[in-house]
Amino acid sequence: MNGPAPEPIVFAPLTRTDLVRYAGASGDFNPLHHDHAFATAAGLHDVMGHGMLSAGLLGSAVTTWFGAGSVKNFTVRFRSPVWPGDRLTATCRFREGDADGTAEVDLLLSRGPDDVVVAGVATVRLDRALAAREQKVGEK
Amino acid sequence: MSGDTLEEWDFLVEEGKVREFARAVRDPSWQDSVPVPPPTFPVVASAAFVERLVTQYLDLDRSRTVHGEERFEYFGPIRIGQVLRCRARKVSDEVKTGKRGGRMRIVTTEVEFAERDTGELLCRETMVSIEKEAAS
Repeated sequence: MNGPAPEPIVFAPLTRTDLVRYAGASGDFNPLHHDHAFATAAGLHDVMGHGMLSAGLLGSAVTTWFGAGSVKNFTVRFRSPVWPGDRLTATCRFREGDADGTAEVDLLLSRGPDDVVVAGVATVRLDRALAAREQKVGEK
Repeated sequence: MSGDTLEEWDFLVEEGKVREFARAVRDPSWQDSVPVPPPTFPVVASAAFVERLVTQYLDLDRSRTVHGEERFEYFGPIRIGQVLRCRARKVSDEVKTGKRGGRMRIVTTEVEFAERDTGELLCRETMVSIEKEAAS
């Protein structure tokens, strides 16, 4: 055990602008993520969030909790698509700590109770937490 | 390029790109005087390759393909100003039968990012794509 689990982080609801910003920043221009006509023709009810945007938000929660450069390993599984308007919450639970100053943590990004969109596992360095800032990432 | 390599390319880690990406994923570092590349930043270096991977190398039907899993293993920090030598290879490509009897194609691909000048491996990104069976 490595002390209490960090406080959950609540991200401001996703907007279409957030999806476009991620498309430009990441270079992922799959039209399912920004072209409404294309998305609905493919059977979706709206443009869909990039899976890697969700993963990126979860990663940002980890750097907020444990500090920039704290991540040694980060694995995510995509459980459910994310849509504009979704309000996502990141939570963290310690699994085990190693003697070498790292910890394994279980991570969840959820839309609500029992509505996980991304499940993750990370190995983090605990010595970077002191450098972590108090600023909350969910704010714009 | 070695035998199973799909592509090899170089990528310059630019400060403006790191800041833009950090902002897009709401990483607090985006407002720092020198932003730190977020954990998933390597996707920026592999984006153009992934586009070709789906459409050319694997010939996946995008409307039936989902991103199943993604993993980043770090061996050293990625820093602004570095030139990364990126090497992509297919790890496995198999067809499995799902719980409900449908067949799925599961493709695992990895990209390794090394410091070009020293050859030091910094990060390995592994991605799993799942193509579901076409509706009959």
